[in-house]
Amino acid sequence: MTKRNFWGYFVPYGLWLGLFVIAPVALIVYQSFFNLDHQLTLTNYADYFRSGVYLKMTLNSVWYAFLITLFTGLISYPTAYVLHQLKHRQLWLLLVILPTWINILLKAYAFIGIFSQDGLANTFLRFIGLGPHQLLFTNASFIFVATYIQIPFMILPIYNALDDLNPAFINASQDLGATHWQTFRHVIFPLTLPGVKAGIQAVFIPSLSLFMLTRLIGGNKVITLGTAIEEHFLTTMNWGMGSTIGVVLIVAMIIVMQLTNDHTKGAAK
Amino acid sequence: MSQPIIELRHVTQKYGAQTILNNINLTLESGKFYTLLGPSGCGKTTILRTIGGFNQVTSGDVLFAGQRINELPANRRNVNTVFQDYALFPNMTVAENVAFGLTLKKLPADEIADRVAKALKLVQLSDFGARDITALSGGQQQRIAIARAIVMQPKVLLLDEPLSALDAKLRRAMQYELRELQQRLGITFLFVTHDQEEALAMSDEIFVMNHGEVLQSGSPVDIYDEPINHFVADFIGESNILPGKMVADYRVSFDGHEFDCVDAGIPDHEPIEIVLRPEDITLTDLAHAKLRVTIDTQLFRGDYYEISATDDRGHDWLIHSVRPAQDGARVGLTFLADDLHVMRLHEKEAEFDARLETYEGTETNHDQA
Amino acid sequence: MKKLSRLYLVLVFIILYVPIIYLIVYSFSQGDTMTNYHGFTWQHYRDLFADPRMLAIVADTLLVALLSALMATAIGTLGALSIQRTSKRVTRDVLLNLNNILMVSPDVIIGASFLIFFTTLKIPLGFGSVLLSHIAFEIPIVVLMVLPRLREMSPSLLSAAEDLGATTHQLLTKIILPFITPGILAGFFMALTYSLDDFAVTFFVTGNGFSTLSVEIYSRARQGINLEINALSGVMLLFSLLLVGGYYLLQQSSRKRRARKREVTP
Repeated sequence: MTKRNFWGYFVPYGLWLGLFVIAPVALIVYQSFFNLDHQLTLTNYADYFRSGVYLKMTLNSVWYAFLITLFTGLISYPTAYVLHQLKHRQLWLLLVILPTWINILLKAYAFIGIFSQDGLANTFLRFIGLGPHQLLFTNASFIFVATYIQIPFMILPIYNALDDLNPAFINASQDLGATHWQTFRHVIFPLTLPGVKAGIQAVFIPSLSLFMLTRLIGGNKVITLGTAIEEHFLTTMNWGMGSTIGVVLIVAMIIVMQLTNDHTKGAAK
Repeated sequence: MSQPIIELRHVTQKYGAQTILNNINLTLESGKFYTLLGPSGCGKTTILRTIGGFNQVTSGDVLFAGQRINELPANRRNVNTVFQDYALFPNMTVAENVAFGLTLKKLPADEIADRVAKALKLVQLSDFGARDITALSGGQQQRIAIARAIVMQPKVLLLDEPLSALDAKLRRAMQYELRELQQRLGITFLFVTHDQEEALAMSDEIFVMNHGEVLQSGSPVDIYDEPINHFVADFIGESNILPGKMVADYRVSFDGHEFDCVDAGIPDHEPIEIVLRPEDITLTDLAHAKLRVTIDTQLFRGDYYEISATDDRGHDWLIHSVRPAQDGARVGLTFLADDLHVMRLHEKEAEFDARLETYEGTETNHDQA
Repeated sequence: MKKLSRLYLVLVFIILYVPIIYLIVYSFSQGDTMTNYHGFTWQHYRDLFADPRMLAIVADTLLVALLSALMATAIGTLGALSIQRTSKRVTRDVLLNLNNILMVSPDVIIGASFLIFFTTLKIPLGFGSVLLSHIAFEIPIVVLMVLPRLREMSPSLLSAAEDLGATTHQLLTKIILPFITPGILAGFFMALTYSLDDFAVTFFVTGNGFSTLSVEIYSRARQGINLEINALSGVMLLFSLLLVGGYYLLQQSSRKRRARKREVTP
């Protein structure tokens, strides 16, 4: 292939990289230094770090994302593990993927019905004698729905990691006298950890920004970083502050990526 | 000597600080079977890619029938390649693969069909045209790759370790077929391999390479009998290589003894290396022995016994014998002066050839005298 | 132990599917609440198909999805080709990392930054901005679907074609494109679903006047239960199933065709 032809191919993709990847990130950083009156200033960052409201909101958001990721992981690992031992596991896996094809808003909307005063959840609670409760617009319902939505995205990478695991390792471990639990603890889990990390990446970062769920299910009681950004951009029109929170979210994302990326390869020893 | 079809003149290839090819000079004549032989990473495939047009050399000239073709792209060279992994297009049938190059040339359909049929017949796969590539065995894919290249009627066919993926038996059969094919087509084959047996069996001329240099070139017999240095002697066939010293012309000393030899033109008392092929050594009784060894072990190889022994000075010896020996026995070794080959340390091919010339000349004089 | 694990699995699947089934069941319920089933009716579906605003939005959504997926597939394929062509490892890693930025960024960041971008360039918000945004966030997934196919391609395949006289153009059309077609199809397919699934990015850049299904569902859901949405979810589920089924069949048939050809071996 000649040089000239190569550049011909690269131009559209290169334009995309420049216009829709680099420029927007640069713009959001740039915008974060402007106040409501379009003056270049650091006040957004000063406000963010000085006023307890923003810091508390950030901590809250991280805490919720942590809980969502934790619950998702606790539910997904055993699911992936059992799933992987099934005979028709490809079919079952397809059934795990299928719900991700349903629009996220439809799923959230379904929970508005399920969690309503006379909805399915309260009917069930009444049936087992725990009486009806206010379910919708609570923190718990937000975490529940978010976890529900994220489960497939956690199951998939863990399942793939289990699939990549050479069965000879498990045989070897048992051959050397390990019990099922010991095999799991010392062989299977450490070797599938990359899958868990990939799952955490796929779940934690979006959980910081699920603003539609905080609106529809959380009843604005939960404010995540995403909710705050949406509010500043589309309601109060304070783009500068919104961008500042956006930059915080980007930084949080980079930290999570660094923590969950495998640095052990090559660095070890 | 006919007009050379391919010539490399002072070809050097560097990637950063790494030198892949160092001042390569080689000439390929029309209609011969050449082999580039060397261990992996010695630069032999780079030479092939250079001639094929897939590699731009750092310096030096690549000539095709006397014309410099350094800048000519691969798709305009009258040279075709059989790739190591065959590189058959998986989205096409056998016939479509073979026809590919001709289709690109926009030849008439009936001519294409005709030439494809002939090429398939040449590789004995006439009935396979409609098959899918994945439906072929390794040996069949190999033949299709050859057919796809020769259907282009190249002046030179480049073969990049084409037999390395085949099992031992098929490999031997293909050696015969390739040699026969080359003679039938009458074009130049340049074959790359790291397998010395393959090289010795098929070639008119072998280029032995290491670390980006051609160490020695010549007919299989020359290279086998007169290796230029330790590396070539060790790489081609099995050898006993011992350090020694030149005593005078036609006289060397090694292993504590002096022997007659047929080499000359080396300064007296120069340290040299001696090569003795295992099959040139004969077991004998101690009385007639030139050297005495103790048998360590032996392996039965079917047509001979491979015997490993140690002499009094601790050198290991490898001997091929049709008769078995007794483990632990002390036996004598004998050999002809003719079979002792003397190698000077760090001698280049040109110097080697020049020296050979002088004393082979004197040798004849010597005989006449 | 085995029974327990199966029970657990069943429980997880029940939780995964209850909301979806719940939605569909109430799409056939009389009345206007998602509580207490009131008897079967097609009424909500009839309402849905008689709602011109909704039908227009469905058409817009599909149009955006198709157009953006086509564009993204073309650009993404070219991108994958150029990434594969870069010989320097560092350059390739940088390109890949840049490519993945939009894959890992939260939707709100993409939405907010695109909103700033369009406003800065004075591009009016509406169909155009939504289409551009969708193309933008679909490109990286296309690249990621095409690249593995390109990597699977042995470099000697290209050398062989060149050796037999192929020009750069012929190399692309006769060897590379046929070989990576499965990856391109998969990329197109993923791009389509990304577009249909997206809410947050569209929500930011849609402005007034233009709406996609996700945005419409959001604004209707904020006003409470409306069984027309349930009917819509029924239609969308059916559509998704058809899409998945179609894709699955496509893959199966190509696998079968390959297997059939292989059977010819003596």
